[in-house]
Amino acid sequence: MAVSGNATTDTGLREGWYSRFDRRLSPYLFILPFFIIFGVFGLATILYTGWVSLFAWNPIGKQQFIGLDNYFHLWVDPRFWTATYNTIAIWFLSTVPQLFLALGLAAVLNNALLRFKTGFRMMAIVPNVTSVVAVGIIFTSIFGRDYGLINWLLGGVGVPRIDWESGQLTSHLAIGTMVIWRWTGYWALIFLAAMQAIPKELFEVAAIDGATRLRQFRSVTIPQLRATIIFMVTISTIGGLQIFAEPLIWGGQLNAYSGGNSGQYLTLSIFLYAQGFQSFKFGYASSIAWVLFLIILVIALVNLLVTRRIASSD
Amino acid sequence: MRRHRVAAMGLAGTLLAASVAIGGPTVAQSPSPTPAPTPQPGQTELNFTVFGDMGLDELVAQYQKDHPDIFINFIQAGYQEHHDQLLTQLATGDVPDIAAIEVGFMSKFKAQPENFKNLYDYGAKDIEGNYLPWRWEQAVSADGSSVIGIPTDVGGMALCYRTDLFKAAGLPTDPAAVSALWPTWDDFIKTGQAYVTGSGGKKFIDSAQGTIFNLVARQGNEEYYKTNDPLTTVYDTNPQVKLAWDLAVKASQAGISANIPQFAAPWNAAMSGDAFAALGCPAWMMGYIQSQAPSTAGNWNIAAIPGAAGNWGGTHLTIPAAAAHPKEAWDFINWALSPENQLEVFKLHGNFPSTPALYSTPDIQDFTNPFFSNAPVGKIYAASAEAVKPIFEGVNQREIDVAFGNGLGRIEDGKQTPDESWAQVMTEAQLATQQ
Repeated sequence: MAVSGNATTDTGLREGWYSRFDRRLSPYLFILPFFIIFGVFGLATILYTGWVSLFAWNPIGKQQFIGLDNYFHLWVDPRFWTATYNTIAIWFLSTVPQLFLALGLAAVLNNALLRFKTGFRMMAIVPNVTSVVAVGIIFTSIFGRDYGLINWLLGGVGVPRIDWESGQLTSHLAIGTMVIWRWTGYWALIFLAAMQAIPKELFEVAAIDGATRLRQFRSVTIPQLRATIIFMVTISTIGGLQIFAEPLIWGGQLNAYSGGNSGQYLTLSIFLYAQGFQSFKFGYASSIAWVLFLIILVIALVNLLVTRRIASSD
Repeated sequence: MRRHRVAAMGLAGTLLAASVAIGGPTVAQSPSPTPAPTPQPGQTELNFTVFGDMGLDELVAQYQKDHPDIFINFIQAGYQEHHDQLLTQLATGDVPDIAAIEVGFMSKFKAQPENFKNLYDYGAKDIEGNYLPWRWEQAVSADGSSVIGIPTDVGGMALCYRTDLFKAAGLPTDPAAVSALWPTWDDFIKTGQAYVTGSGGKKFIDSAQGTIFNLVARQGNEEYYKTNDPLTTVYDTNPQVKLAWDLAVKASQAGISANIPQFAAPWNAAMSGDAFAALGCPAWMMGYIQSQAPSTAGNWNIAAIPGAAGNWGGTHLTIPAAAAHPKEAWDFINWALSPENQLEVFKLHGNFPSTPALYSTPDIQDFTNPFFSNAPVGKIYAASAEAVKPIFEGVNQREIDVAFGNGLGRIEDGKQTPDESWAQVMTEAQLATQQ
């Protein structure tokens, strides 16, 4: 029996104020640790970066308020547009092949006839745990112009050697290769988990209807993995837009912060870092950081809308 | 019951093992010959950050041996990383006691001298006379009231060449004869072309930017900035810079450059091979070549460069303003950079002292380097250091240098014509120096 001011629980007993308070408040207490840490290390730093971007900020010198000037300078800065183009191009060249390779690899790992399943699945994650710097150094060496492995192989079949670092497309391919090598296994395992969650009946029904294995993959597996694929694309995008270590090591010591002598592999993160640490312009670097943040925010919102629409249409 | 017994035995065994370990060694330990890797109680700990190999390892060890109450935490990082970290450290206040700053970055850090201790307050005036005036000036603030660093070595400039490759291409190998081949830079390029022909197509220099532009641009009175005027850039009008650019372009178009960017892995590897036969050689490059290409010992020699003397590189040791132990830091710097100790570093590593009193002494004048065919390196670099006309370096020195380097790189890669590339260099340098 409900009396105003006193709730009753399922068993019909009257619930005390303490118990009611606990029931309402506890969920928030459980999620509070994460949000405190996020608030301090995430939200506060993002807002502070926005604040710094309104200044001409020398980290060891003077700081002067200049309003939105940094953003106006950024808009007309050709390096910003070069960096944006490069970042998106590298993202595209790394994410698209990664998607297909990861799906393919997951299908192979899911195969019932595969021996040493656990071993192969573990090996898939190994590239992901290697040091980014070590990977960068090795791949830079492999793609070297004079002494690199790839040019040596090309020379063996009579193809003239390619200056990978000098070109824009070749640099993007090489950096994309580093990213693909690193992340394909990781996403393959995620797709694998999602594949194993697909109800077996769907495959049986498709088989009865006469679908080949490939057709089953195309028409049953992929649609069922839609949400996972969108998740993968979103996370890859957020990571890909911030790519830093691979292009930096690709450039070697002299070209590092220019992203190559034509800025052919200058990414937004490297541009940001160069402005901050080479030129001591923390205000300008912060404005680049905020623009990057806004781009990523837009993409995350797009992801939210798309997944919501898929969820409602299921 | 059986499970409990196993657990109890395991616990007992662990406690037994632990007690043996804690009991300590029964054999008396002999004192270790090298300084302990961690500071002992009662020692003052100095944090000393440097980049690359500055040749100071022996001095650091010696100082700690002579001063048992001092422990030096010697931290080496890459050239770029070290200076990036220094910026962060200065901004946060978590600074080392002694920080090396290379001359390429000095103009940037010096613009905010309040971040460093004014070494005049520690008695730097007394030792100022020991050093080359223009090297000392590089660490003096714009208004002249403070000096933030003491000079380590001086680069100077000469030309290192591979005697075996020269011989195979039909060129002379004796340094005097080689220097006579190129009284001017045009002669240098012609010699390069003769080398390419004589060697069957091998390239002469490592890159137009590294061995031509780098050297020629600094042979005038000014480079990118008006002397003593940190706010006025002259890179666009300075005839010396244009000359350096034109010579570098000429060298590239003459086909004598291997187009290998410096200080990258392929460049390190190429030193042992035959990809190039000559490169610009400040004194510290000797040590670099020796460490990267030990197999080529005895196959190098040193000649003069065409035109006036030049200088490349040089470092200062500074004390950040928030250092925990500035007095002890100063004592170390004062000792380590004294003329006698700079001579020691020269003998071990080839970094040439910036203390001119030594130049006429037999220690320098008679010093030869067997790696470089017993070249009289002491004499060569003493003459070079004394003849240098100092170049004033402004705040955005490094960014302008990078813009020019990228411009020449684009020409060498065949991506742009020299005029297109020059135009882009002007735009980029302008972008770097604005605001």
